[in-house]
Amino acid sequence: MSAPLLDIKDYTLDIATFDGPVHVLKGINLSVNRGDTLGIVGESGSGKTVLVRSVMGIGPSNSAVEGGQITFDGQDITRLDPKGWARIRGIRISMIFQDPMTYLNPLFSIGQQISDVMAAHERAAGEGGSTKGARRARTVDLLDQVGLPNPASLYDQYPHQLSGGMRQRVLIAMALSGKPDLLIADEPTTALDVTVQAQVLDLIKSLVDKLNLTVIMISHDIGAIATIADRCAVMYKGEIVEQGRTADVLREPQHEYTRQLLSAVPDIEAKPARTAVAAACRERQPDAPATLLEAINLKKLFKTQSGGEFSAVSDVNLSVATGEIFGVVGESGSGKSTLARMLLRLIEPTSGNVVFAGQNITGLTGEPLRQIRRHMQFVFQNPHSALNGRHTIGDAVGEPLRIQTRMSRREVEAKVEALLDIVQLPKLFKYRYPHELSGGQKQRVCIARAIALNPRLLILDEPTSALDISVQAQILEFLQQVRAEFNLTYVFISHDLAVIRQICDRTIVMKRGEIVEHGNTEQIFTSPRQEYTKALIESGRKTSRAATLQAS
Amino acid sequence: MLSFTVRKLLTVVGTMLGIAVLTFVITNVAPGDPARLVAGPNATEDMVETIRSEYGLDQPMVTQFAIYMKDLVSGDLGTSIVSTRPVLDDLLRYAPATIELVLVAMTLGVIVGVPLGMLSAVYKDGPVDHFTRILSISGVAIPAFWLGILLQLYFSVDLGWLPVSGRLPLVTRPPEMITGSLLIDSLLAGNLKTFNTALSHMILPAVVLSFPCLASILRVNRAEMIEVLQSDFIVAARAHGISSRRIVVIYALKNALLPTLAMIGLRFGWMLGSTVLVETVFDWPGIGLYAVSSALASDFKPVIGVTLLIGFFFIIANTLVDLAYAWIDPRLRRA
Repeated sequence: MSAPLLDIKDYTLDIATFDGPVHVLKGINLSVNRGDTLGIVGESGSGKTVLVRSVMGIGPSNSAVEGGQITFDGQDITRLDPKGWARIRGIRISMIFQDPMTYLNPLFSIGQQISDVMAAHERAAGEGGSTKGARRARTVDLLDQVGLPNPASLYDQYPHQLSGGMRQRVLIAMALSGKPDLLIADEPTTALDVTVQAQVLDLIKSLVDKLNLTVIMISHDIGAIATIADRCAVMYKGEIVEQGRTADVLREPQHEYTRQLLSAVPDIEAKPARTAVAAACRERQPDAPATLLEAINLKKLFKTQSGGEFSAVSDVNLSVATGEIFGVVGESGSGKSTLARMLLRLIEPTSGNVVFAGQNITGLTGEPLRQIRRHMQFVFQNPHSALNGRHTIGDAVGEPLRIQTRMSRREVEAKVEALLDIVQLPKLFKYRYPHELSGGQKQRVCIARAIALNPRLLILDEPTSALDISVQAQILEFLQQVRAEFNLTYVFISHDLAVIRQICDRTIVMKRGEIVEHGNTEQIFTSPRQEYTKALIESGRKTSRAATLQAS
Repeated sequence: MLSFTVRKLLTVVGTMLGIAVLTFVITNVAPGDPARLVAGPNATEDMVETIRSEYGLDQPMVTQFAIYMKDLVSGDLGTSIVSTRPVLDDLLRYAPATIELVLVAMTLGVIVGVPLGMLSAVYKDGPVDHFTRILSISGVAIPAFWLGILLQLYFSVDLGWLPVSGRLPLVTRPPEMITGSLLIDSLLAGNLKTFNTALSHMILPAVVLSFPCLASILRVNRAEMIEVLQSDFIVAARAHGISSRRIVVIYALKNALLPTLAMIGLRFGWMLGSTVLVETVFDWPGIGLYAVSSALASDFKPVIGVTLLIGFFFIIANTLVDLAYAWIDPRLRRA
């Protein structure tokens, strides 16, 4: 057996902070042989991105190697100089990134960016630069190889003209331009839609087989790891807690953390096991529920830049019963967020009506609209940007109280403490600022703010998609508790089918602004009627844990 | 891109019209009876009345406006009371000096400001960064006329290296006027001696005028560069093996240049306004000096003419900036 292609031994890395150095990586031992596919699983902050960026010499600038070494193909690359890196980076080791929207320079054409990379490689290798035409031909070839249609005309297009999936393919083409020995994929599917995720995973898998690539793929999505990687390592707080064959790790996790992580993954195949509170809540509700929210022929047109019209939501009819969790599923661009904002009158519908508790709220303005707002609240997707970084948590939670009620300062304080208690956060958090909280804690704060006025309706726009899996599980559980306690009605928007199945009573499936299917959630999952729904569920299955266990 | 350009040019016409209307309104709202001012303090009522009807000031406002617009369109900006020449002729005579000064100052600001901003972003918190910080703060804080006087005292009076004021000494025969720029015209005439003289007169006022502009360009470019250098696509470019120099000078600078361009457009207008001060200090025979002397003599028509001219150049500069934006950023090139 020859020496491994990449060998990481006892690697320890510190990052300098205001409070002194922090160990972000602790004694990492990992080796990758030629032709291996290794997955690294871990939640945010586990150090997985720092680890792979160290392998490429693009780690954080304020970091210092405290011990150990990284050997690549027999060469120690732990403390390589820029000249040495120029011969490795992008050529022998290359990388695919998480968010294809931000990893391409918006001001340069696709073709120019790829041929620039080629030119840089030629320069580093000391070869005479090939002609522009030759690079163009190779670029078109690469674009074709990653399954992009019309590669020749794509060459002169700019990133903003491409969809997310296409951009990710462009980034993959860029990574392959140096014919790398080792390909590192950092969460390559996280920012993509479900159906696109499945396609990109298929592409990576086929490229691995065809080009005999050695791959390290990082993901928090265990399904994606299982699709690509034969071996996998689990990272937690800067350490590798478990590694082995992917099938073994998934089937019989040895470490406690792995077990927790696996159990937190929502399973698309699982029939929802309603929690006791949820069941109790249902019992309290009489069987013929009154309609709380209704949308009639709701339509929204946006003007496009070229002056045309684009229909974001067209002729949507729906009715949400009091006390239910109403799911809205769809991929990006399906109009689900536009719909949610119209339901709350945050944006004006072009035509159609929204009826809330028997009152048509489409025509309302001024004070009556303000009055109705206290009964309907919104929880945003990204808790990191939904809170003002310069306001304390207490300010944030107390804000609706100060705006909508005449409570005294002391009463507001007391109510804020009570609310923090409800969302299971310490009372003293009211003095903290958002940056001191984790993602899950911030989302709890957002929920506390949303329920401060005892609203009747809560619209949750992807409330868990910016969070880690284990945190997602907690928040979902918690949302169901809160609903029971406050008798709330939810409109729950998500692209994650497993989550929808877990908690929603009824669901609509949206595509390009229209409802393609609606009905009982279980029914939609067990016997979908529309092709689109079937395709959606099928792609969801591909990255599902149960499916991958069967496959391995 | 073509229709974008056409649309931009149409807005130029619209904005120009707006400026014309605004200028008319302001001069009519301003206190004082223009007829009496023109007639002078010792004029009799009859003389004032004669002047009033001669200038059309006894007509209703709407008629006055119609006459004003009609004259404007036909290029008639009225006659200056002081110089008794048509205002248009005066402007054509003084404007080249100002435009030359502003363009030289702007070029100076850009070719010094942009690279310095880039350098201080790359070597953030290093010696270069500290130096540019001092430069940019003093650039914004120091008043132009004071700096001008200071430089005159040191470089012209103490050291005697550069002339104190003016555009050319009286003894030098100006080159034949082709573009209106002394620097270019003297080169075209092949007269290097005149070119050197003109250049030495240009240096001090151009430096004074460009200093605040340089400071803000530097500041904006530095901040933008720092932000762009931290963005994801720069990390990706590094990971793909592109050299640091290419990343900074091509990939990052192009992104950082967009807000810098906006600043350049704004500063252009500011510079045209500031020439009033700088031209007074350096006795530079441009429209700033012309505007000041006309305003002091209550000579309204030249003031209106200068306002319109400055407005016109400001709009042209900003339209060029808009076009440059679209040229750099493909996302703005709407079909």
